[in-house]
Amino acid sequence: MSAVSGRFARDTGLMAGRQLRVLRMNPGRLIYPLVQPLVLLVLFVSVLGNLAITRQASGGSYREFLIPGIIIQNAALTAPTTGLALLRDASSGLADRFRSLPMSRAAVLIGRLASDAVLFAVQAVLLLCAAALLGFRVRTGLAGVAGVVAVTVAFGVAFAATSAWLALLIKDAETAERVLFFPAIAVAFVSSAFAPVSELAAWMQPIARANPVTAAADLVRSLASGTPAIGQLLQLACWVTALLLVPGILAVRRWQAPA
Amino acid sequence: MSEFISSGGTPAIQVAGVIKAFGDVTALDGVDLTVGTGALAALLGPNGAGKTTLVRIIATLARPDAGRVRVLGYDVAAQPAEVRAHIGLTGQYAGLDEELHGRDNLVLIGRLTGLRRRQASQRAAELAATFGLADAMDRAVRTYSGGMRRRLDLAASLMSRPAVLVLDEPTTGLDPASRQHLWAALAGLRAEGTTMLLTTQYLEEADRFADVVHVLDRGRIVASGTPAQLKARVGNRVAEIRLDDPASAVTAALALARRLALPPGEIGIETGVGRLTLAARDGTATLLAVAAALQADGIGVDDLSLRQPTLDEAFLALTGVAA
Repeated sequence: MSAVSGRFARDTGLMAGRQLRVLRMNPGRLIYPLVQPLVLLVLFVSVLGNLAITRQASGGSYREFLIPGIIIQNAALTAPTTGLALLRDASSGLADRFRSLPMSRAAVLIGRLASDAVLFAVQAVLLLCAAALLGFRVRTGLAGVAGVVAVTVAFGVAFAATSAWLALLIKDAETAERVLFFPAIAVAFVSSAFAPVSELAAWMQPIARANPVTAAADLVRSLASGTPAIGQLLQLACWVTALLLVPGILAVRRWQAPA
Repeated sequence: MSEFISSGGTPAIQVAGVIKAFGDVTALDGVDLTVGTGALAALLGPNGAGKTTLVRIIATLARPDAGRVRVLGYDVAAQPAEVRAHIGLTGQYAGLDEELHGRDNLVLIGRLTGLRRRQASQRAAELAATFGLADAMDRAVRTYSGGMRRRLDLAASLMSRPAVLVLDEPTTGLDPASRQHLWAALAGLRAEGTTMLLTTQYLEEADRFADVVHVLDRGRIVASGTPAQLKARVGNRVAEIRLDDPASAVTAALALARRLALPPGEIGIETGVGRLTLAARDGTATLLAVAAALQADGIGVDDLSLRQPTLDEAFLALTGVAA
């Protein structure tokens, strides 16, 4: 048992290391997960940041409301790249290579998620730095910043696991590329990312309230402002657990399944 | 050459009654074959014969619907982990990360097979030298030529020093020099005692390098044996007739068929060069009968000879499909 879990840990580390090395050798790959979010942040804040939306819960400016939404939105937009990368492996000769090795098979997905967790953390830190320049303050200090990063990573990894399962379900890389980003955009809009749930169209509100994007964005807001949000924390924890367990395990099983 | 090289005990690969269907298509229809320890076996067959499916089953990548496959005594369905610990696979498509350097690929794959970092680096350097890739180790694989990629892929399969190596069309798409290089490497492995099963479409390769050839056609093994034994199945000798006038090839073939009472299908015709071939079941007597028959019809003969059949001819005779 310990030999098996030791191998799992080692192989997960090796697969995560492989991904990080690829990123280091191809810095262009970092434009999508790291540069585009910064641009989006500046665009959204510059266009919408000065609107006066008064009826929102936290009582601060719209800018303070919007920025946590954008942080989570970007994590949601980055998550599909996990699925696409896994699908690229699955449809190359590398899949057969890995499957024929005496390695832990779950390590291919879990290792990818581990390296993506690093990417989500860097993304969150970069966005918080840029947001600070735009006047956004995390009032709870370093602990609050760590909390925001942790929430973003947990949310991003759960969505990444889901995208892995969907991509392996779709199988065709080109289709997956066109299909996976759309729900990521939709799910970000039908939430409290850009406007309080109470301001959304009536039909959207029940969906938005259940949406993990709402829970994550509200949690980031409460961490930044120092107001407790136990409900959102529980809701997000449930979502993350459920997405890692159900689509995550299904993705591992699809990867393992011999033809 | 011994018929089935084996150092006694269990054969390295045993395939018994394997059936595998994909929907309505039966890829393997009751395959039996054995590869002795240390042998180099070729699996020869036309496209769609089921070669890749069989390789994937042996490498634990696919599961047979029925039948049993053992590698070094381990059952591929019940003990896939043990099988994976002892085999190397070189698939039809290179199992490499194109973005990573050659060295990173070898070390990663070596470490995934359980080598420590230092062992993996040492082994990678060793294999890079063997395969003439030492200068390319610090380049991304996507900059490699087809031949280099193949060699790196083979090196990756050898990181763990597997006792059994399975290769799916290792030489397909390679230029002659790369093919030579690869075969030299395989010959080296054979000398070290590695058991190998490889699929190929190149008959002359199977002829020159394999100890045993298994001919797979439409999901069944239609013949097994040494290249010499397979060639003997076509008849021991082939009569080859070169005509004075290439344009008379068809006329000559019909005349021969009539006078020697042969079905016309038994006579090979190459109209361009004016060459006919047929199995010389009675040796020189067949040759004399051919000469007499053509003379009787007034057809001019430039050259008449007896020779060993090629594996091509054996293959055609065994499967009815030109390779």
